[in-house]
Amino acid sequence: MDEVASKIIEILKKHMKEPRDDIGPSTALTDLKIESLDLAMIVFDIEDSFGIEIPYNANEEAADFKTVGSVVDRVRSLIAQTAGAPAKA
Amino acid sequence: MTGSGGLRRVVVTGLGAVTPIGNTVPEFWAALRRAQVGVGPLSIPLEDLKIQIAAEVKDFDARGRLKDFKRDKVVPFADRYALFAAAAAGEAVTMSGLQTPFQDPYRAACIIGSGGAGLVAVEDAYRDLFIKKRKATNPLTLIRIIGSSAAAHVGIEFGVKGPVFATCSACSTAAHAIGIGRDFIRHGLVDVAITGAAEAVITYGTMRAWQAMHVLSPQGIFPFAKKRNGTVLGEGAGILVLESLAHAKARGATILAELVGFGMTADSKDMVNPDTEGPTEAMRIALDDAELAPSDIDYLNAHGTATAINDINETEAIKKVFGAHANKLAISSTKSMHGHPLGAGGGIEAVACIKAMRENWVPPTAGLDEPGEGCDLDYVPNVGREQRVTYTMSNSFAFGGLNAVLIFGPPPV
Repeated sequence: MDEVASKIIEILKKHMKEPRDDIGPSTALTDLKIESLDLAMIVFDIEDSFGIEIPYNANEEAADFKTVGSVVDRVRSLIAQTAGAPAKA
Repeated sequence: MTGSGGLRRVVVTGLGAVTPIGNTVPEFWAALRRAQVGVGPLSIPLEDLKIQIAAEVKDFDARGRLKDFKRDKVVPFADRYALFAAAAAGEAVTMSGLQTPFQDPYRAACIIGSGGAGLVAVEDAYRDLFIKKRKATNPLTLIRIIGSSAAAHVGIEFGVKGPVFATCSACSTAAHAIGIGRDFIRHGLVDVAITGAAEAVITYGTMRAWQAMHVLSPQGIFPFAKKRNGTVLGEGAGILVLESLAHAKARGATILAELVGFGMTADSKDMVNPDTEGPTEAMRIALDDAELAPSDIDYLNAHGTATAINDINETEAIKKVFGAHANKLAISSTKSMHGHPLGAGGGIEAVACIKAMRENWVPPTAGLDEPGEGCDLDYVPNVGREQRVTYTMSNSFAFGGLNAVLIFGPPPV
């Protein structure tokens, strides 16, 4: 696992009531018993850690957030986009 | 178990407090006994604050205090004010001996207000956005800010499914919550109510707002004294568990007091300057409601904020209501010790009133060396007093001219 993945798993564990050690890319978020506000906290922490913004609406089913791996992929692409974007004045 | 008009009698079976001079009821009462003053230098960053004192709650360990709560999320989800409310409500419910979650949850109410609600969360969020330039506020910010969050947290914890909401009337918030809770029980809507208020206003932004009003004292809070020059902000929570007399008796509860009278009025005049008529009528209505004569009241816990105008205005109002008995009445402002906890004041002071009745001891007005002009009643200066205390009155008079008065009596025999 690369740094992005391990950092995200670390964040997930921080917000779980009973953190597990068997979380991998294929783990479904629904298996982690994450409630809606926990997800908001997780998104907040990920944004803060990677300096990105994750477009997400708690009212919608988020396809990007089905598995741990899908979150990692999304974050990776957002990091790439942010890095490639022209620097703001 | 009904009074006149077939209305149900309402008793107090639990008390809870978090105050700048004690984080539980026994600690608070012991501090009042010692005339301990909870005012000190501010612990928040002082920056350019002109007023550098407050009565802060000290060493409040939310996690330790709420360790028996079933929901581990209360602490991260709650603003400081709601944590005070939860701690005080936990103490009050434990004291009441009520089984929770309530067996008949729709017959229970939870009415816990706040004057300012989640101001600590507001300040944290704004500092993140405006100073630290963070991209977002903490996602729990909104949940922490909302003014009904204390009532909701406590209601969820104890399984209350009847009326759950907050009151908001500045310094009368707790008294309104307690009075409304009593009326819900009195009229048969519910059998049990967790009532009161909490406040946590000691932030840089709030201090600046108060500073701009020029009503805070840079030295201390000296109600009814010649040297008084403003109030001192406090914080905390005061919670009562109320029950119908029948409900309390049926379960063999220890009844601490009866809530016999409630009066509320509004001056309908000015946002900041109090009038004598509104407070006078609130006290009269409460006495009528209690079916008591003014001379029945032994101890009056005054609003007593130590502003120039409140103390003289309240003294005038007391004279109008009590006539000759005004000179025999033991009056004190416990704000001289716990500071002015705004909305929570009426709850904390109700606890003081009930303890005064239980122990036949009247708390003093600390720091009263020389009375101010026109402040010529018996304010129990500096040293508390052993005396028979059968009926007590608690005054709350708020900005906006919003007045609420509670009267407590002995447990019905």
